[in-house]
Amino acid sequence: MSLYEVWQAAASSPFQPAVGKDSQLTVGLSLLLVGLILTGLFGLNRSPVSIPLFGIPASLAFAIGAVYAICGFGVYV
Amino acid sequence: MRFSSVVSAVFGLCFHTSLSSAQQSNLTTPELTQRILTGDFKPAPVFENTNLVRTINLEKGYVRETTNVLVTNTDKNPQSEYYIPFDYDLVGKIGGFDARDKKHAERGPLEVTIGTLAGVSDAKEPSSSKSTQYYIIHLTEPLPPKGAVTLSISYHILEALRPLPASIKQEEKQYLTYYFSAYVPTVYPTIKQKTKVKFPSSDVPEYTTTSGLTSAADPEKQGSSFSYGPYDTAKVPPGTVYPVTVRYEFNKPLLVCSVLERDVEVSHWGGNLATEERYWLRHDGARLANQFSRVAWSTQNFYINAGQMTTSALRELKVPLKPGSVDAYFTDEIGNVSTSRFRPNNVREASLELRPRYPLFGGWNYTFRIGWNNDLSSSLRKLQTPADTYILAVPLVEGPKNPEGIQYEKLVFRVILPEGATNVKYQTHGGTGVPTLQAEHGLHKTFMDTLGRTVLTLTATNVVDEARDVTVLVTYEYTFFAALRKPLTIFAGVAGVFVLAYLVGSIDTSIGKKQK
Repeated sequence: MSLYEVWQAAASSPFQPAVGKDSQLTVGLSLLLVGLILTGLFGLNRSPVSIPLFGIPASLAFAIGAVYAICGFGVYV
Repeated sequence: MRFSSVVSAVFGLCFHTSLSSAQQSNLTTPELTQRILTGDFKPAPVFENTNLVRTINLEKGYVRETTNVLVTNTDKNPQSEYYIPFDYDLVGKIGGFDARDKKHAERGPLEVTIGTLAGVSDAKEPSSSKSTQYYIIHLTEPLPPKGAVTLSISYHILEALRPLPASIKQEEKQYLTYYFSAYVPTVYPTIKQKTKVKFPSSDVPEYTTTSGLTSAADPEKQGSSFSYGPYDTAKVPPGTVYPVTVRYEFNKPLLVCSVLERDVEVSHWGGNLATEERYWLRHDGARLANQFSRVAWSTQNFYINAGQMTTSALRELKVPLKPGSVDAYFTDEIGNVSTSRFRPNNVREASLELRPRYPLFGGWNYTFRIGWNNDLSSSLRKLQTPADTYILAVPLVEGPKNPEGIQYEKLVFRVILPEGATNVKYQTHGGTGVPTLQAEHGLHKTFMDTLGRTVLTLTATNVVDEARDVTVLVTYEYTFFAALRKPLTIFAGVAGVFVLAYLVGSIDTSIGKKQK
């Protein structure tokens, strides 16, 4: 089976990104803001509980937010 | 967006591309392979060219030769290999070789190999034997004795046109010359043959008139086409040369790209296909006899815009882009070239109109880069089986579409896939005369990369703008975990900072007595 036939057969499943190009910057910056707020909350109360409560969610928000923000600014990683 | 694209382009170049052969290659076999011929090789005269018609198309800045030939097997045994000779000096300029069986055109191109004499391929004495080289066409089924097949063979010859005079005044017309043999170079006896030459216009001030080859006037002129022949050449030994020279008006730029680097970069996170092309362009036409005059050029420009005059200088390049292309940029060594226009269109072709900083006359160079973005959904599809596998379809060449055509001496096409993509395979589809592609796997490191992105580098020589009809299809495996590599790396780093902040914060640095 040639790759052209494979390409034709997959016509019904074009790639769709999880977040569209138009909303990447909004999503990215919002997540970075969430990360910043959670970091602030972590800073107010540095206890062993605040790591899973604020630190881990903040890290996740920073991670995903950074990827979408850089895409939103036009550097498609 | 435009600024950021430029920034990404500049930074992208700063990162050195490391092409390692660590990944195992599982590529499609190139269509053209080389066969080493030993000794004083001469193909056996097992065929006869019963009727041969050659068309030499000089309408563009390169030569396209198409030969339709009725081949008969005159041997006692079935034969399947048809040899086409090329002079040593010419073979390196041949590109886009395509051979088809006319009766079975639907089967696609026939298999072709290049026959190189051992003495020539030996690097120690490259110039000692300037022998004839061969393209070998392999027929799908061996041709039985007295059997016949009609072959359609076409190829283009790069850099075979020479301006005459070699230097002209700024407002003078440019004329090109082309040399060929009235007898088609072949290793087999040819019974009847004819050569048609198509010129871009009917202004052909000089051409060779043959004598003694045919009873009628030769060549026969019909508007902008000339016909040499038909000749009865049954008694002419194969390989006989009857030199013919034609000199014709070609008042258009003779554009040659010494290198075209073309990158397409796939981003799953951004849903984007970024394309960047870097051109090293030159004009191989007639040089300016005098110094360039800006005043004369502005007068010329007035008449050119009014349609009353033409020039051999390059004034503008029009690049048709796919519908939905956005964020186009056009930069050179100085920076953004503002004399360009981008006409986006979501339904029909978008158009990028480039005006170089200066008109490009014969012998002048211009180096520039262009780039744009597309939605990934139009070029990438997900396969149902196997899981996590995607297929990408991109044209081999996009770039300027000018009536005079462009030749690319070397094309480096990089398909930059996401980080962690594995099991990369490629194939080409469509177009005539698909260039031989040398493939290499490697890694490309740029923003937010840890290991580097998987790169498939396809290199080809002697490509012309007609290769825009060729589509490159690439399949690769890209798992969910590979996609999460970027955010997980950032996550691990930031989470580490939080833990560190907690640990540092919990160190007791007080100097007083501990309170209980």
